[in-house]
Amino acid sequence: MKSLFTIVQKEFKRFFTDKRMIITIFLPGILIYAIYSLMGGIVGNMTETDKDYKPTAYVINMPDSLSAVMEEAFSLQTEDISEEEAKQLITDSELDIYIVFPQNFTTSIGSTPTPDVKMYYNSASTNSFTAYSLAMAFLNRINTSAFTINNALEKFDLAKTSDVSSQILSTMVPMLMFALLASACMSVAPESIAGEKERGTMATMLITPVKRSEIALGKIISLSCFALLSGISSFLGVIFALPNLMQGMINAETAIMYNVGDYFLILAIVISVVLALISAFSVISALAKSVKEAAAFISPLMIVVILLGMGTMLLGSNPAVGYYLIPLVGSGIAMASIMSFSSSLLGIWLSIISNLVIAAGFVVLLAFMFKSERIMFKK
Amino acid sequence: MQEILVVDNLTKTFKLSRKQQRIEKTDKSLKVAVDKLSFTAYKGEIFGLLGPNGAGKTTTLRMLATLIKPDSGNAVVDGKNIVTEDGEVRKKIGFLTSELKLEDFFTPNYIYDFFSDLYGVEPAIRDARKKDLFEKFGIDKFAEVKIANLSTGMKQKISLVISIVHDPELLIFDEPTNGLDVLTAKVVTDFLQELRNQGKTIILSTHIFSLVEKLCDRVGVIIDGRLVALDTLANLTVEKNIEQVFFDLYASVMGEDRV
Repeated sequence: MKSLFTIVQKEFKRFFTDKRMIITIFLPGILIYAIYSLMGGIVGNMTETDKDYKPTAYVINMPDSLSAVMEEAFSLQTEDISEEEAKQLITDSELDIYIVFPQNFTTSIGSTPTPDVKMYYNSASTNSFTAYSLAMAFLNRINTSAFTINNALEKFDLAKTSDVSSQILSTMVPMLMFALLASACMSVAPESIAGEKERGTMATMLITPVKRSEIALGKIISLSCFALLSGISSFLGVIFALPNLMQGMINAETAIMYNVGDYFLILAIVISVVLALISAFSVISALAKSVKEAAAFISPLMIVVILLGMGTMLLGSNPAVGYYLIPLVGSGIAMASIMSFSSSLLGIWLSIISNLVIAAGFVVLLAFMFKSERIMFKK
Repeated sequence: MQEILVVDNLTKTFKLSRKQQRIEKTDKSLKVAVDKLSFTAYKGEIFGLLGPNGAGKTTTLRMLATLIKPDSGNAVVDGKNIVTEDGEVRKKIGFLTSELKLEDFFTPNYIYDFFSDLYGVEPAIRDARKKDLFEKFGIDKFAEVKIANLSTGMKQKISLVISIVHDPELLIFDEPTNGLDVLTAKVVTDFLQELRNQGKTIILSTHIFSLVEKLCDRVGVIIDGRLVALDTLANLTVEKNIEQVFFDLYASVMGEDRV
């Protein structure tokens, strides 16, 4: 155990006293901030909305506990219209949201069958999507495990086109984030493992009595910490860029409606992604004979990471729970779902656990590889 | 005499790639690098392994240092088996070879402490030994200079010092004076003698005859993976010097025309 600490300490000294390495920590965060702000600016120009606009809403069976906040945020319609008429108005962008609460919603919370709230909206309309996000945020403040939202098998998004800018945006975020996290991992793993192998410094460590598993774990822990810092920097980039990114889509009120729990979940997802990526890259680096070869091996994997991020875009933010188990794809979906206020807590934890299982598997594999003379000493 | 190292029928075979087969001018896909090697080294002696490049010296030493495993045969270091107790063996040996490098991003001072800690040396003993060794080899003046900026000779001296941070009983040195100028080489050879005088056992692999004559108590001549002679230096060189002895052995093993 003491040796593990010594190895982690050495790796820290190696990275944190090297200026080039320090830059790789902070650059992704700054880049994310710049890119997202730019993207938000472009989208914002395309879909310019009035900041003072109050979305129109038609609410059936409004619970008393929500009426005050709803009246504040929405311009509530009162004329008597049928469900079909309301849906048509939403499709035509003349009404922003149509919400149907079950009768006696407040008293039926927690009872069986679980009450379901229906929200019809149009994701192609910025105003309607803003209204939907706002309503989601309000409902999420209540005990969300006691009732469901849009759980019925019918179409709630009444947009005519499938080209929905908001969805693309919330799914672009994970893809870009993965690409930046992967590049942070790529900047340290080959250097620390293939580099040490290439320069013959790994062999010097292997003739000490330290267990191979301790060397593997020491490497993974320290590399993860480093990539995590880079991940946190990316995360902060996202947080600070969010208001810029969502400009025109979600007003200032909604932007701050991501609560501490949401941020914690995003961070937990980022950490698990980093651990999975760094352990995978470490194993590949251990297979390579040189840093150059490791970089060549990892490059195709970077493309896979980006493709997986794009898979997230195709699946949208509300696929079946099983998809959350796919490494990276699940994390992407989870992140997109948090950002569009439609998160499934079970799905998020499944995605985190799937990443952690992968990371643990690769650590065990790495320890075995350090024992293999064919891998460690073949020229 | 106390046995420190007992090597028993140590054998190691490597697979040859097609390219290597062409270079070696053979159609065999396997090469026996070390072929049933057996010898014993005693406490307080310098045992020389003399042989040409590619004879299997380094492979033998790497097996003894537990970096690679023998295909068959075994060796015991101070009672510990190199195959089944490799962790224990690593505590008892110091290994110096040109293949083992030090991270040149760090200073000698840091890297010494790092390896001392990995070997579990107590901090007080570590610091006293470091002061002593750094002074002896003149490393003290460069203790805080990054290894990358030091000369080849200084790097070799630091490697030597690092290989003995844990004060091992058995030292395995592979061509310790290769690439060194005469001054640095002398510092190294003098130190090997000093270690012997302290009762340490040294396995010295080399192809330099003068080094064998100067240092070794006993010599094993290794040619083509096999031990073809094993005796005290005095007995081997009764009639001829070690250089002549070696070439005669080589001619008898490989054929006259190969000399």
